[in-house]
Amino acid sequence: MGLTADEFTVQFISTLLKFSILAGMLLQVPPVMLLVERRIPAFMQRRKGPNRVGLFGFRIYGVMQALADTIKLIFKEEVVPTGAQKAFYHLAPVFAVFPAFMIAMAIPYGPDIQVFGHTVPLSVVRVDVGFLFILAISSLAVYGVTIAGWASNNKYALLGSLRASAQMISYEIPLGMSLIPIVLIYGSLDLNKIVEAQTHVWKWGIFLSPISFILFLIAMFAETNRTPFDLSEAEGELVAGFHTEYNSTKFAAFFLGEYVSMFVLSCLASTVFLGGWQVPFFDVRSLDQLVGFTGVGAFVGFGSLLMKAAFFMWLYVWVRWTIPRFRYDQLMGLGWKFMIPLGLINVVVTALALAAVRFS
Amino acid sequence: MSELSNFMSHAVFHALAGLITLVSFMVVASKHPVKSAVFLVVDLFLLAAVYATLESHFVAAIQVLVYAGAVVVLFLFVIMLLNLQPDQLRGLRFNAPEAVTLILALIGMFIMIGVSVAGKPTGLGDGSLTVDAVADGGGNTYVVAMKLLTDFIWPFELASVLILLAIVAAVVIAKKDKKDQPA
Repeated sequence: MGLTADEFTVQFISTLLKFSILAGMLLQVPPVMLLVERRIPAFMQRRKGPNRVGLFGFRIYGVMQALADTIKLIFKEEVVPTGAQKAFYHLAPVFAVFPAFMIAMAIPYGPDIQVFGHTVPLSVVRVDVGFLFILAISSLAVYGVTIAGWASNNKYALLGSLRASAQMISYEIPLGMSLIPIVLIYGSLDLNKIVEAQTHVWKWGIFLSPISFILFLIAMFAETNRTPFDLSEAEGELVAGFHTEYNSTKFAAFFLGEYVSMFVLSCLASTVFLGGWQVPFFDVRSLDQLVGFTGVGAFVGFGSLLMKAAFFMWLYVWVRWTIPRFRYDQLMGLGWKFMIPLGLINVVVTALALAAVRFS
Repeated sequence: MSELSNFMSHAVFHALAGLITLVSFMVVASKHPVKSAVFLVVDLFLLAAVYATLESHFVAAIQVLVYAGAVVVLFLFVIMLLNLQPDQLRGLRFNAPEAVTLILALIGMFIMIGVSVAGKPTGLGDGSLTVDAVADGGGNTYVVAMKLLTDFIWPFELASVLILLAIVAAVVIAKKDKKDQPA
């Protein structure tokens, strides 16, 4: 890298700052979702839900329930099963949290901003193979689940973890395949370039490759082990699946890993299919000149991405309280016999269509 | 390249190299097969980090995707399903051929350390695909794709046919004869 000492320092400090801010933000996802996961189903089922916990006598729709739940979770007694593989038992939550935070670093959260004369991209690291980076790191998410189930020395936990890892490996293939047409269309593996190419609503991924969007959406639910694909924690059969023997802060770590990876995949779906930080019918980057204050455009762009991601998070909860759980053979059949062939056909058709457009 | 970033990249490389050596040793020396597999994942992941410091992001991503993310998961599956216990496995003891191999490997390692400490050139110059050449050629992915799908198209296609054959063979072996099954 041909960097001068000055550039190196700027990059070092800005990366450190961006990472701290991002990590702080991601840690706020589970408490918010904790409340959302209880209030939305209450709304759907026409009951009240938790609306009592408030602060200083103000109820504020029960917002403080999230804090109460978190405190309860952290102060629970920690029990380690006697027959557990100690080292792996303690390591598994780390393996579960690590990939989610790694993936979050590659997502562009806004257009480049100018700070003190330096151009700073609004993703923690700017990788020119952003797509592959995300797929590679998300393939590591299997280890947290696998090791957790095995190390707990519990039949139900092991069965749950085997189910979960087989499912995650299977659905990684359609997930990757659904993204290939997008790479073909925009001609880049760089997420920043893909967002910049989606200048107009009709150039968004969802319109250029709708089948990809559907495949990605299904695979997204399966990758995060959410209903209707939460076979790994089918409470009727497996107690609680791979985290049966986990409690207190270690369970909270699995919780954190699940919700952060849901959020990150939502961000990825918005980035690839819904134009990322672009706002429809309007160039965010022109806002800086319009308002006369630098950073406004980036802020609006970030808000746009956040709203799109919030939509997907809400969809997660919506689907969870609407659709019942699949049977395991149905799940595998859907993955291998429907989604992978459809993904392959989608790749071939997109490639042919692009070739026809380019050489006509 | 400035002195600071030069120093940093050297420091990062040596830290990674030391870690990789340590972890690789743990893969072989661990008594528990699951521990070996987990150390192998860490090992392959750190190797990808070395590729990333060489600006080969494409190779680094593929390394993690294929080896750390897919191959070792299958290792781990097999180990867990067989449920191998540490006491059923032989510990770290050597018979004569293994001892000879170990001594030869150690001699080779010391020669390599000596050469690298003395700073002698290896005799291998820079190849044609330097960092700058790749950047000029349109980036990592583009250069790899062009090489793979033009110059090396036949080896590439043959390799995929070979993998297909292996899959078919595995299915044939795993498929039980109908007459063997209880009625």
